[in-house]
Amino acid sequence: MNKSKIASIVLVILAVVFLAVFPLVFKKDSTINVIILILLYMTIASSWNILGGYTGQTNLGHAAFFGIGSLAARILWVKGLSFSLSFLAGGLVAVILALLIGFPAFKLKGVYFAIGTLALAQILNVTVGNILPEMSYNPSLADYQLVPRYYLFLALALVTIGSAYLLVNSRIGLGMMAVREGEDAAESLGISALKHKLIALLVSAFFAGLVGGAFAYYHVSYYLNMPFGPEWTFDSMMMAYIGGTGTIIGPIIGSIFFVGLKQLLVWNVGEYHLIIFGVLFILIVLFLPGGLVEIWQKIQKMFTRRRRLEESNLSAMKRAEPLRKGD
Amino acid sequence: MLHGLGQNLAFGLLVGALYGLVALGLSLIFGVTKFLNVAHGELLMFGGYASFWAFSLLGLDPFLSIPITILFLLIIGALLYMLVFSRTAKLPEESKIKNTLLVAFGLSVILQNLALRFWTADERGITTSYARIVFTLFDVRFPLVRLACLLVAIAFLLGLQLFLKKTYTGKAIRATVQNWEAASLMGIDIHKVYLLSFALGAALAGVAGTLVAVNYSIMPAMGLGWTMKALIVMVLGGLGNIPGTFIGGLVLGVTESATSFFISSNYREVAGLVLFFLVLVFRPQGLFGTKES
Amino acid sequence: MLNIENINVYYKELQALWDISLVVNEGELVALIGPNGAGKTTTLRILSGLLKPASGHVRFMSRLIEKEPPHKIVEMGISQVPETGKIFTGMSVLENLELGAFVPKARREKDKSLEWVYAIFPRLAERKSQQAGTLSGGERQMLAIGRALMSKPKLLMLDEPSFGLAPILVQNLFAMITRINQQGVTILLVEQNVQLALELAHRAYLLENGRIVGEGSGKDLLSFESVRSSYLG
Repeated sequence: MNKSKIASIVLVILAVVFLAVFPLVFKKDSTINVIILILLYMTIASSWNILGGYTGQTNLGHAAFFGIGSLAARILWVKGLSFSLSFLAGGLVAVILALLIGFPAFKLKGVYFAIGTLALAQILNVTVGNILPEMSYNPSLADYQLVPRYYLFLALALVTIGSAYLLVNSRIGLGMMAVREGEDAAESLGISALKHKLIALLVSAFFAGLVGGAFAYYHVSYYLNMPFGPEWTFDSMMMAYIGGTGTIIGPIIGSIFFVGLKQLLVWNVGEYHLIIFGVLFILIVLFLPGGLVEIWQKIQKMFTRRRRLEESNLSAMKRAEPLRKGD
Repeated sequence: MLHGLGQNLAFGLLVGALYGLVALGLSLIFGVTKFLNVAHGELLMFGGYASFWAFSLLGLDPFLSIPITILFLLIIGALLYMLVFSRTAKLPEESKIKNTLLVAFGLSVILQNLALRFWTADERGITTSYARIVFTLFDVRFPLVRLACLLVAIAFLLGLQLFLKKTYTGKAIRATVQNWEAASLMGIDIHKVYLLSFALGAALAGVAGTLVAVNYSIMPAMGLGWTMKALIVMVLGGLGNIPGTFIGGLVLGVTESATSFFISSNYREVAGLVLFFLVLVFRPQGLFGTKES
Repeated sequence: MLNIENINVYYKELQALWDISLVVNEGELVALIGPNGAGKTTTLRILSGLLKPASGHVRFMSRLIEKEPPHKIVEMGISQVPETGKIFTGMSVLENLELGAFVPKARREKDKSLEWVYAIFPRLAERKSQQAGTLSGGERQMLAIGRALMSKPKLLMLDEPSFGLAPILVQNLFAMITRINQQGVTILLVEQNVQLALELAHRAYLLENGRIVGEGSGKDLLSFESVRSSYLG
């Protein structure tokens, strides 16, 4: 195991420990809520990234899974089912939805897939808003505690990111990336594009559904069609791109950056952060498709090149010395 | 019941003409450059605001402010192309279409929030002095404003057709659509064609925005809904097919009205979206297109 | 008039042309022959500006043009008839011809040019309102050439005009090409039909695997042994 791998693992452990003890140290509700927001976005963005970043299928309807997970979880929970079961049911329902729309949606290629999924999510958005327009109230209002919800989001974020990591480094993950690089080429190598796209979609939908359930647990009262709103897809997509699609850490960086920017600018004026984010998004798509991760890698390369230069100079000097002694 | 249906049908056709105009700009841009400008609704929104402010601050009748809207959006469209889309045009074939989609999407976010900053989230509308005038024919009511919109929509449709068929520039655009390499071998500057198409498409979106401001209302978040309508109509009519786009608009208008009549007005939008998805999956060349590319 | 000097061309990482040099003098009909995939079309694409060389120069009337965009090159007087003609099938014959005269200089002389083209290809005059997509193969090729002539080019480049045509049509077409050359249009002809091309050409170049392997007058190359065996069977 080389140095940089050990360093990464140590960093991850430190980060997890830090996040785990965070609410015990910083007890202020508003601070904890900010971290929850980051974890929420991190999870949605990572789940989007599995299909959008690694498999190259731009899914503009991701909010449908987020929405239906939260809808199922909320309804079951309010009806009396235990939260843990409701929560899991949310994930399951999202997967079922993914199966239903996956087959017809994947008949569409490229751009048409993007607008097709967008249409599907909007269908759900409007329909839910029509059928269930009332606001949903949390039954156990008196017992509301923030901290367990924090740990739910944290655990979910870790599981999602961890699963994404495992999936991406598996053979299936390799197939997914092959599909991204070129469907026809992948098919000619015996990689079933449809199979890999479906797997990516189901995993992506599952975690989006779960975090939707967490959302339902977190909010005291909200309109049931709110999590179906397209901004959930769009914001997550931008986070993944700015951080760096096709990397595990990209959505993480992107979500931290997004929420951080929002917090920073909320003291100035209104919705500036989205304008800046949008501009950054365009700049990255045009000029730096690897996102912030790519910038980081380029900086790293600069340093390794310098180190390699120094090392080769050093060894060149060592080889030269015996000659001088002999003269 | 029959009378209600007649009224409903008439209404659907009137709205459909507007939908056709809404999609016209998007269809033009897509036909020429193959870019799917998902910020189309936001351009429409800016057109609506231009007319609204001309009306509120200058007392200018919205139909008379259309030239202002056109100028305004021509400039914006040209700027957007030069600053942003000209760079995606130079990308390699595989990533060009997808990246243009992403860039357009980013623009929609920026434009929406800029509008929010400039003009607040308040809903605005234009109510003219003649807004209440209604013509009645065979027991069916035709509001004057809607008829005027129908005329404007038809005028621009015909105008665009004439431009493309009769002028040298228009023919150059059609040539670029059919075979851009051959077109460049004719001495046609493809980048100029792209720029012009983009600016024209934006201008058409702006005009549609004016009509929307008169018939409905405008607000910063309206973009996505109208982009979807434009997409639906464009796909229905067959991509890059102008008369087809207009008919596609009528089809959408009537579909929505029928849904409103037989089911509920809440599901107007859903009906259109469902139709859209079905056409995409089962007949992607549209109702009138031929199986080409 | 035209000077290609040592150009090297790559498609992504693959080198397609190696150190190509060739000359076309005013009034000549020069043929570029060679097997499939030799790089003939690539050479033409460099000349019309659709491709840019990695190194080397292209000089047209003593102006460097290898970096110019396609539409500028047409303005300078080079016109290409691409492989398979690539006519605008959704437009009429007349519209196709009109588009050939797109550049401002040519547009002013449009009517005279139309007369000239109709004189060379009377069939086009007959069919001028017909949709180009409904034309036969031979007529399409005539339209493609006529369209290219509408810009009144100093240099006309033809990419395999005989492609897909029946032999009798090919004979007719090449007769017209000779006529065009005799009327003062310099021609660079890329062809698979080696026999005819070499009979017509003043000079010719033989291109194989991206390199020029032979050069000489049309008659000389016709009698050259390896050409006879490889291409004339």
